[in-house]
Amino acid sequence: MSGVPAYYFLWLSGVIFTVGAVGVLIRRNPLVIFMCIELMLNAVNLAFAAMGRYLNSLDGQVFAFLVITVAAAEVVVGIAIIVQVYRAGRNMDVDELDLMKS
Amino acid sequence: MVVAFAILAAWELVTAIGVMASRRPIYNALSLVANMLGLAVLFLLLNAQFLFAAQIIVYAGAVMVLFVFIIALLNPQMDITLSRPSMEWAYGLIFGVVFAGLILALVYNRDLTGIPGPFTPEVIDAFGNVQILGAVLYSRFLLPVEVTSVLLLVAAVGAVYLAARKIR
Repeated sequence: MSGVPAYYFLWLSGVIFTVGAVGVLIRRNPLVIFMCIELMLNAVNLAFAAMGRYLNSLDGQVFAFLVITVAAAEVVVGIAIIVQVYRAGRNMDVDELDLMKS
Repeated sequence: MVVAFAILAAWELVTAIGVMASRRPIYNALSLVANMLGLAVLFLLLNAQFLFAAQIIVYAGAVMVLFVFIIALLNPQMDITLSRPSMEWAYGLIFGVVFAGLILALVYNRDLTGIPGPFTPEVIDAFGNVQILGAVLYSRFLLPVEVTSVLLLVAAVGAVYLAARKIR
């Protein structure tokens, strides 16, 4: 055991997740919102790895690895959409991108 | 170990708040790079050497290069959230305090229980972290790995399709 209780890692993970969630709520730039989503995914990865470590299991690391892969795929598609929005001449403000609402 | 964890935790918190609150997108991106590097070291603290390497290569390398490249290409203006008076910050702060309080109280009040697995640090050291992780990935988790590869293919095709299309 590394001497650090598992609680500490889970607390840190929860706080980072909260910071990311607040960022998603209050920011308007879609790029920054994407970065905050990455922050939340990272926090979850930390919780996975910590619990896997303290339960002597590799499942946590495997799940964190899969989450990394899914996050990479998500970023690729999301950035392609953002570039398209930019090329269409729209403002980079999620409040004004309401074409799908009506 | 606890000292290392404390330093890393402070680093993670500062850079996470930098990601959330910086005004210029390039500063957000650089804070996120710093955050991911700190997280990679945390993985090292947890004996997850493969995750350490994957985190640095995939996240701090590929994903963040993509972000920085797009920011340099599109040159988005400053976020208007911070420049005009609004209640969003107050709402966000209230939400954050409540949410973090809920998570922390939940972790604090519940005992962490679970059935310990067979992979003690001695077993992992005997085989090597990457070797044993690969063995688990391609035996027990074969189907998820294959599904993930299909997902990556779909994402690549979708990104090419989106980038090549003309949208008005």
